[in-house]
Amino acid sequence: MRVLRAREVEPVIRKGGKARVDADVPPRFKVGDTVVARTINPLEHTRLPRYARGRRGVIAHDHGVFVFPDTHASGRGPKPQHCYSVRFAARELWGPTAAAHDAVYIDLWDDYLDPA
Amino acid sequence: MSNENERERDTDMTDHDADHGHGAPLTETQLRVRALESLLVEKGLVDPAALDALIEAYEKKIGPRNGARVVARAWVDPAYKERLLANATAAIAELGFTGRQGEDMVALENTPTVHNVVVCTLCSCYPWPVLGLPPVWYKSAPYRSRAVIDPRGVLRELGVDVGDDVEVRVWDSTAELRYLVLPERPPGTEGMTEEELAALVTRDAMIGVARVEAPAGGQARTGRR
Amino acid sequence: MNGIHDLGGMHGMGPIVREADEPAFHEEWERRAFALTLAAGFLGQWNLDMSRFAREQMDPAHYLATSYYEHWLYGLERLLVARGLLTQAEIDTRVAELRAGTAG
Repeated sequence: MRVLRAREVEPVIRKGGKARVDADVPPRFKVGDTVVARTINPLEHTRLPRYARGRRGVIAHDHGVFVFPDTHASGRGPKPQHCYSVRFAARELWGPTAAAHDAVYIDLWDDYLDPA
Repeated sequence: MSNENERERDTDMTDHDADHGHGAPLTETQLRVRALESLLVEKGLVDPAALDALIEAYEKKIGPRNGARVVARAWVDPAYKERLLANATAAIAELGFTGRQGEDMVALENTPTVHNVVVCTLCSCYPWPVLGLPPVWYKSAPYRSRAVIDPRGVLRELGVDVGDDVEVRVWDSTAELRYLVLPERPPGTEGMTEEELAALVTRDAMIGVARVEAPAGGQARTGRR
Repeated sequence: MNGIHDLGGMHGMGPIVREADEPAFHEEWERRAFALTLAAGFLGQWNLDMSRFAREQMDPAHYLATSYYEHWLYGLERLLVARGLLTQAEIDTRVAELRAGTAG
C-alpha cells in the first residue's frame, strides 16, 4: 500500500478522483425522454433516494458515463453507465399542494430508470 | 505501546474543558480519534505530515473565495459566463480551481424567473474546490430533509423570499456532479471592479440560500470604474 | 439501503441553524478525523462509494444524534477493521490505554 506523503497532498487534491469513465457505453435515454425511477429497495448502497422511487421525470441532461455506485460500493465493479440529470416536478414528488412550477433535479444512472 | 505520537494539543479542549484547566478528561470521540491516528501512524499507514497538509489545505487555502472569483468573472465577462454555463469544469479550471469533489462541475444561473438551490439529501456532497468544506447546516438533517420537499419554506427561513412567479429548482447532488449557483448580480454594482464584486459574493449565495447584496450606501468607495 | 441517511422529504428534523462565520472545523478531533479519513482512503483499500456506505450503516438514532465528523469517524473505523488494517481489539485496547493515561 502506498502512503500519502505531505508533498503529494496538493497534487492529489488538485487531481481529484475518477468517477467519470472514458468508456464507450451507449445511453439508454436522451434529453427529453420521460422516465420512471425504479422501485428498488437494495440492502446495500444506492444513490436513488426513496422520495424519487416510482416517480416520473424527464431527462434534462446526459452527464456522460460514470462509475455506478451501487456495484462499486459492494465490490461488484464500476459497471460504468450514463448518468443523467432528471427533472421531477414538485407535484409529482410531493402531491398537489406542492408549488406548481417548482422541480427537483436528481442525478440518476441508467440502472435506476425505466422508460415511462 | 508508545506515546511518542501523542502531541499536547491545547486545541483538543473546548472552551468548557479549558475552564477546567489542563488535564480535563478526553471525550470518547477524542479518544477514538487519537487511538486511530496513533495506531495508523505506528503502522506506517498514514504520515502525520500529510495529515497536517490536508488540514492546512482545507482549513486555510481552499474556500468560498474561490467560487466568488468565478462568480465575479462571470458577471463582468459575458464570454466567460457563457463558457461557465456550457462547461463549468473547464471554466472553473481556467481560474485554477480543480480537483477533489469538483471534478465534474455544473453552474446553475439564477435569474429573475429561476432560482436554483443545491442540497445533498443523502450525505453532504458539495463542490470543495470552489466552496471549501460544507458548513454544518448543509450537512445536517433539517436542511437535507426539507430542501427538496419545502424549498420555499427553507429559503424563507434563511431570509430569501422567492416570488410565486419564480420557478424554484432544487438540485440533489446524488452523483459526482457538483453544483455551483451563479447568483444574480445585485443592482447598484455597475461600476465595481471584479475584485470588489467577488468580495460581495457569499458562500450561501453560491449554494442558492442567499442573495448577493450590494454594499450599503451604493457602490464601493474607491470610485474606480 | 433504506437507511436514516436517506433524509429527503422527512419531517420533524427541526430548524436550520446557521452559525455566523463558521470555521471549517470546530474541534481538533474533527480536523484529525477528516485528515485520517482522506489519508486512509488514499491507501486504496476502499473507494468513495464504500466510504459512504460504511457511514450509512451507523445506528440510526446515533446518526441523528451525532455530528457530521462522528459519522466519518464511525465509517473510518468500520472500514479499517473490515479491511483488516486494524483490529477492533487493538483499537479498543488503545482507547483504554489512552483513557487511563489522561487525568480524570
